[in-house]
Amino acid sequence: MRSTQHVALPDNNPEMGHYSDPPLLVLASLASGPKHGHAMIEDIARLCGTRLGPGTLYGAIARLERVGWIEPLDPEERRRPYRITGEGLLVLRAKIATLQQFVKAGTERLEPL
Amino acid sequence: MNLRMARLLMRLYPRAWKDRYGSEFEALLLDASGGIRAGVNVVWSAVCEHIFPTQGGNMDQPAYSFRTMLKRPSAFIPLAMSLTALALVLGRVAIFGTGPEVVVNGRPDEGAVAHLWQLLMAGQLPVLAFFAIKWLPRAPRQTLGVLAVQAGAVLASMAPVFFLNL
Repeated sequence: MRSTQHVALPDNNPEMGHYSDPPLLVLASLASGPKHGHAMIEDIARLCGTRLGPGTLYGAIARLERVGWIEPLDPEERRRPYRITGEGLLVLRAKIATLQQFVKAGTERLEPL
Repeated sequence: MNLRMARLLMRLYPRAWKDRYGSEFEALLLDASGGIRAGVNVVWSAVCEHIFPTQGGNMDQPAYSFRTMLKRPSAFIPLAMSLTALALVLGRVAIFGTGPEVVVNGRPDEGAVAHLWQLLMAGQLPVLAFFAIKWLPRAPRQTLGVLAVQAGAVLASMAPVFFLNL
């Protein structure tokens, strides 16, 4: 059986390790304050290195607004900022807690390797 | 991205979506760096918005309604292939009539349209089989309805070939 111990990790591959769950990334970005689309893209890129496409971002925004986890604010010129709602914050906390659990368990499994 | 390209891409979205997000989305496209990747992303997202609408569509409709079933790729791809095949045959008849087959290098040949028609008709069979195998056990009634529509499209594209002896 092939061992995973000596498999070289491609550290120089910037795509490795990117996390892409657009609705969660939008919620996480809005947790630090209201933002419009372009500001969200830049913030998410700083947050986890993932640069969402404009279509992907607005697909996530439309769905999050539909379920009431974010809400639009008054437009600034043509750009419309969004903010996270109370329900959105609850969802974000729950998802982050699940991710923390996942990270802990995953790290423990990787330790002996 | 320039204004012309942004407006062109915006046209791909459904009207209800454009009414709600059009202005701000256009502003974002103008701000965003407009590489091919961004363009492809917008095109793909517009297609997804048509299939799974967030605006104007009924997101609360049952998961297995006839309309929802019809929107599944394995349901509409065979339909699209049959309709393309029908359009090809009708186009050939309109342009070249029901004339004899083409002669290539001294040998009779059915012509490119006939080959494309055969590919489209044969190519949809695995997709049809996949759709039937996957969805018949889960939603038999709706799946049979979609299969009936697909069969109608297949027959419609075959009819000119047989009736006009192409």
